[in-house]
Amino acid sequence: MFPVRCFTCGKVIASSWEAYKQRIADGEDKAAVLDDLGITRYCCRRIFLAHVELVDIMAPYQ
Amino acid sequence: MEIDVLELSDRSAKFILSNTTAAFANGLRRAMLADVPTLAIDDVNVYNNTSVLYDEQLALRLGLIPLVTSFDDFVPQDECTCEDGCPACVISLTLSVEATADEGRMVYSGDIVSSDPKVQPAEMNIPIIELKVNQKVVLEGVAHMGYGRDHAKWQAGVACGYKNLPIITIDGCDRCGACVNVCPRNILCLGDKFVEVSDESRLNCSLCGLCQDACEIDAISVTENESSFIFTMESDGSYTVNELIINAVNTIKRKASSMGDILSTL
Amino acid sequence: MDYKCTRCKRTVEIDYQFTGIRCPYCGHRILVKERPTSIKTIKAE
Repeated sequence: MFPVRCFTCGKVIASSWEAYKQRIADGEDKAAVLDDLGITRYCCRRIFLAHVELVDIMAPYQ
Repeated sequence: MEIDVLELSDRSAKFILSNTTAAFANGLRRAMLADVPTLAIDDVNVYNNTSVLYDEQLALRLGLIPLVTSFDDFVPQDECTCEDGCPACVISLTLSVEATADEGRMVYSGDIVSSDPKVQPAEMNIPIIELKVNQKVVLEGVAHMGYGRDHAKWQAGVACGYKNLPIITIDGCDRCGACVNVCPRNILCLGDKFVEVSDESRLNCSLCGLCQDACEIDAISVTENESSFIFTMESDGSYTVNELIINAVNTIKRKASSMGDILSTL
Repeated sequence: MDYKCTRCKRTVEIDYQFTGIRCPYCGHRILVKERPTSIKTIKAE
């Protein structure tokens, strides 16, 4: 699951995750989407760029 | 001390604090980060959890969700006059979501049901956990007031920081343009007779000093005004930025007066 | 203590003396412990 807050600064970033994921899937530029969502600091941005969703991978082993 | 507000919204602010000391600016910054109490889920009673996350991970995620707090209505449990929990120090929130047999479902912070209508998650669309088919989560979160110094979930101020006000002086410029090219933030521009700095972009200067190095005749100098600070801050949503600053200043005031009391008894 | 067989999903009792960890119905050797019904209290941190 996507982290609720930025590890470094503490900004609540999870609320922007679904919008980000949707817009990336629509082919928009990552940097432009992050700027638009108000994720301006690089501490928060790296979490978006580096996140891997694991729920679907783990679900069959419950 | 003067305050000159540059930007102000519910969630973020930028202002110039002038005629003060670095000690006061830092005190304000620290108070906003660590000493303004907010509400956050602290204890979690898990009734059932068949999701992919462990109970502990789920509890951490719930704790980090900012809750809208009214400063006057709640007190940290240690400072409360009651023995073991009263409506002023303990707020119960419940989360009970079950995915159907046909399709999964995302649980959002908006699914949390609060026992006190004044206490709500600051943002309703924070994903907590994705439930697959037939999975369910039933739990009760108990929220307490706490301080940012104890855990990041109680930290109301986000990314509070300041820098000194830059002073850029240009004297005897020959309009060679070397400093304009080297400035990483494009603060300088070529005027009619010499290089100019616009008042607005001056605040954007990072005091890197590249322009000083680039100038061969030492016509430009960048120094900092040590009694003025450009302050930037954000709130996590538990308070508006306005409330946060006022609460932070009140906290400093209260600490200072209790310090005075202690000193006067010596 | 009840366990659940991961293949046939039936509740099984472990027979420590003779069969060991083995489902008496289908013979599967992976058993999981069910979540207890009691309320679990944890600290959110």
